[in-house]
Amino acid sequence: MTSLRKAFKHAVLILLALVMLYPVLWMVVSSLRPDNEIFRRPGLILDSLQTHNYGEGWNALSSPFGHYLVNSAILVLACIIGNLVSCSMAAYAFARLDFTGKKPWFAIMLGTIMLPIHVIIVPQYILFSQLDWINTFLPLVVPKFLATDAFFVFLMVQFIRGLPRELDEAARIDGCGHARIFLRIILPLMLPALATTVIFTFIWTWNDFFSQLIYLTDPEMYTVPVALRSFVDATVSTSWGSMFAMSVVSLLPVFLAFLVGQRYLIRGIATTGGK
Amino acid sequence: MSALGELQRMRRGSGGTLGGRRDNKAAFVFLLPWFAGLLLITAGPVVASFVLGFTDYNLIQPPVFNGLDNFTRMLGDARLHHALGVTLVYVVVSVPLQLAAALGLALLLDRGLRGLAFYRSAFYLPSLLGSSVAIAVLWKQIFGAGGLFNQFLALFGVEGPSWIADPDTALSTLIVLNVWTFGAPMVIFLAGLRQIPAMYYEAAATDGAGKWTQFRKITIPLLSPIVFFNLVLQVIHAFQSFTQAFVVSNGTGGPSDSTLFYTLYLYRRGFANFDMGYASALAWLLLVIIAGFTAVNFWAAKFWVVYDD
Amino acid sequence: MRRIALAVAAALMLSACGSGGGSADQELSKDPVTLRFTWWGADERHQRTQKVIDLFQKKYPNITVKGEFKDWNGYWESLATTVAANDAPDIIQMDELYLSSYAERGALLDLGTATKYLKTADFDKSALDTGMVKGKLYALPVGLATYSIVANTDLLDQYKIKLPDDATWTWDDFKKIGDEVSKAGGGKVTGVQSFGFDAGSMNIWVRQHGAVLFDEAGKVVVPENVLAGYWTYIRDLAKSGVAPAPSVTIERANGSLDQSGTATNASALATWWNTQIPSLATASGAKLKLLKLPGESQSSSPGAYFKPSMYWSISARSEHPAEAALLVDFLANSKETADIMLTDRGVPANSKIRTAITPKLGEYDKAAAEYLDTVKVGTAPRVTPNGASDVEAIIKRHTEEVLSDRETPEQAAKAFITELQAEIDGA
Repeated sequence: MTSLRKAFKHAVLILLALVMLYPVLWMVVSSLRPDNEIFRRPGLILDSLQTHNYGEGWNALSSPFGHYLVNSAILVLACIIGNLVSCSMAAYAFARLDFTGKKPWFAIMLGTIMLPIHVIIVPQYILFSQLDWINTFLPLVVPKFLATDAFFVFLMVQFIRGLPRELDEAARIDGCGHARIFLRIILPLMLPALATTVIFTFIWTWNDFFSQLIYLTDPEMYTVPVALRSFVDATVSTSWGSMFAMSVVSLLPVFLAFLVGQRYLIRGIATTGGK
Repeated sequence: MSALGELQRMRRGSGGTLGGRRDNKAAFVFLLPWFAGLLLITAGPVVASFVLGFTDYNLIQPPVFNGLDNFTRMLGDARLHHALGVTLVYVVVSVPLQLAAALGLALLLDRGLRGLAFYRSAFYLPSLLGSSVAIAVLWKQIFGAGGLFNQFLALFGVEGPSWIADPDTALSTLIVLNVWTFGAPMVIFLAGLRQIPAMYYEAAATDGAGKWTQFRKITIPLLSPIVFFNLVLQVIHAFQSFTQAFVVSNGTGGPSDSTLFYTLYLYRRGFANFDMGYASALAWLLLVIIAGFTAVNFWAAKFWVVYDD
Repeated sequence: MRRIALAVAAALMLSACGSGGGSADQELSKDPVTLRFTWWGADERHQRTQKVIDLFQKKYPNITVKGEFKDWNGYWESLATTVAANDAPDIIQMDELYLSSYAERGALLDLGTATKYLKTADFDKSALDTGMVKGKLYALPVGLATYSIVANTDLLDQYKIKLPDDATWTWDDFKKIGDEVSKAGGGKVTGVQSFGFDAGSMNIWVRQHGAVLFDEAGKVVVPENVLAGYWTYIRDLAKSGVAPAPSVTIERANGSLDQSGTATNASALATWWNTQIPSLATASGAKLKLLKLPGESQSSSPGAYFKPSMYWSISARSEHPAEAALLVDFLANSKETADIMLTDRGVPANSKIRTAITPKLGEYDKAAAEYLDTVKVGTAPRVTPNGASDVEAIIKRHTEEVLSDRETPEQAAKAFITELQAEIDGA
């Protein structure tokens, strides 16, 4: 590609990026303004850098905001491990194995993500409350270890189906059973799908408000999205500055996770077949 | 035979086998966590919500069986029909736009340029905010009467209305919001592009194929399972869209019900009106609609999706 | 699979029949007791309430109180879910919109049975009446508010417009002054911020015309033409430029308090609950004044009334109703609580407490408290009936339709009454 074309590409991308990022930039800038100025000045130019929102926001709730960040981090880590293990196993079965009722089971698996959570939540809450799991992370984590995130199962199925069967067959000739094929051949080649699962599980769990609100009743257990809502109240003046500041703070880990994780997204298949 | 020719030998269709018995034992082991989840965690609440659809349930007192009343009520519920219409428009317009943006950016950001990590993160960042509390305010800053978009239009002498407060345009702002958060499908496309072996492109180049032919004959077919995946899931996701409408309209689906998504209506009936029986019935109607669209997607797949197995 | 479904269905049935742990006037337990106490609010309220809880726990060492706080929307979702699962918190902060829905279905304790520990002597009868459903007291009002006009005196001074005589002014006067401001403001400032997005304005209008929104039985009895007049006035405000253009109004109504016309100094007059003036003053930075509502002196009985900002209730299925009553008594009657909370939950409904804390209040809190004491009010409207908890959303939608010219005021009035009655009938 000529350097002119490259320069043009960069220009377009930068412009597009600025347009895409304007809301985010505005939020960052607003977090550095005092509350009563945020809506009076819509521009991006800062005439003074005021970081007090960060300090206030950090200490505004019953625990320092770091406590909620840690809660979210623990939850997210558990969910990632759960999804990676259980979804890859289920995906292998659906993509590579031959079994009775495969199509109907697959349809059921997809069906589970078609019901909105608002009607499931009450019976589910009752179920978990009978198990005494309310106010623990269990209702949020255990389902991940049981492959309830059909999104990732389906994602991995599509990836595995993109891998040529010759690899499996070659391994089978060498005497490998399904377990070995799964662990030694399929998993390593699925790295982009696994990385995608990690990134998305991280981000969605980090931002999942509703389930965390319902199942975590003790404010000590609160996670980031629930804590952020505590800054906002429709009937009195909201601490916008603190809310924006803490939103920026919560955005950072996710952003970093993505920045780092995307390196694994790009590790594709280096060679195919022929070992 | 050329590399391209080999590719053309690949079978078209939805692939896979119909479900014989060969690997039943192995399948059982691999599917054990999923089966356990299905039985222990998913089945109970799902069946309960189905049963609730035939009851009158106000959450405080026990549910009372009311036969098909909820379903006959749906036929005359004008707000429900309106919500369905709003949601359909949203799905049909925003999903293709979003996927097109995602695919376009993924192709641009796949390889061959410096600073790709930065660009990918920049384009992904908006989808991190998509469901946050801050988005309501941010969206007003852009599409409000005095917002950035109108300031931009003012440069051309056009005076824009308040896009979020006008019932005719409020839905469009949510469509834009959905397209703006194309980061997730973009990432999946990126991963998919990376899984296409470079060797295919090299073989095609040695056969004399140009960039456009390579795109048509290699990228599109090999990416098709991923495009299919994104299509199916974004459609499901769009039908269930809740948080953006909730946050931007302050929970009301306004102005004038123009952003009353199906799940928002369902939520209000269930929680604000203590009408959980009807809400459950609505949820199952939605499931049937989504299942229908998904089935059509799967059926149509055999015309354009290519698998290697 | 079927067994699981039956089990869950059975659990749903049984969950509603759980019994409480005794009655509210039994002896206090000597064993450790844990109470769950839930409220909505923002971070300011959470911090203050936690301090109150600490004081209570020090006073009664064997009682532990676990605070569960959420934002407004999440609060009601959570409450409904926990009540459905027979897992409701013991002490519940309650709102007027939902009181009937919970009380009439048996979710709340009759506070008349808790008089051993919960004293209500310092509350005016008119205040207590606002928590009565079907003759029983299910909720104790925490703070009171009354509808008012907030005027930006800086803006009025700037345009050299005289402050109206709020003891005698009419709705026509209101429009006239608004018009003067709009003309002087030249597009950037309008006279009034439109109303029509809450039940307060509707109640005031209806009452001034000698009618009521709901009758004792909970039926919608407001005459169509009264409501049509309400929406006609609102529409005229917008059309004549006294209120901002419809899209601006709608946009602001969907936002939060600090994005409103008053808070951004874009409107000189607006309708608000009097207790919101401190937040408004902070957001706007200008000088604000509380004025009585227009049209009060012309109507046969005052349109104004006391609205509780929120209430304290106790779950009917609480296992420790006596201890819960003790906490509510502490929250409602103790001076220590009042000194910490001040007006965060509204101007105290307990008249003795209100007098005690007034010296401690800031300028605008004091103005709100004094306004409450000086305004003439009529009897409180009936508690929002079971099934009508969505009334504000319905009002809002019709105001939006009228402002956008998609409905005439007459159509809006008719549709509103039909829709609201249908919701009540279906509950």
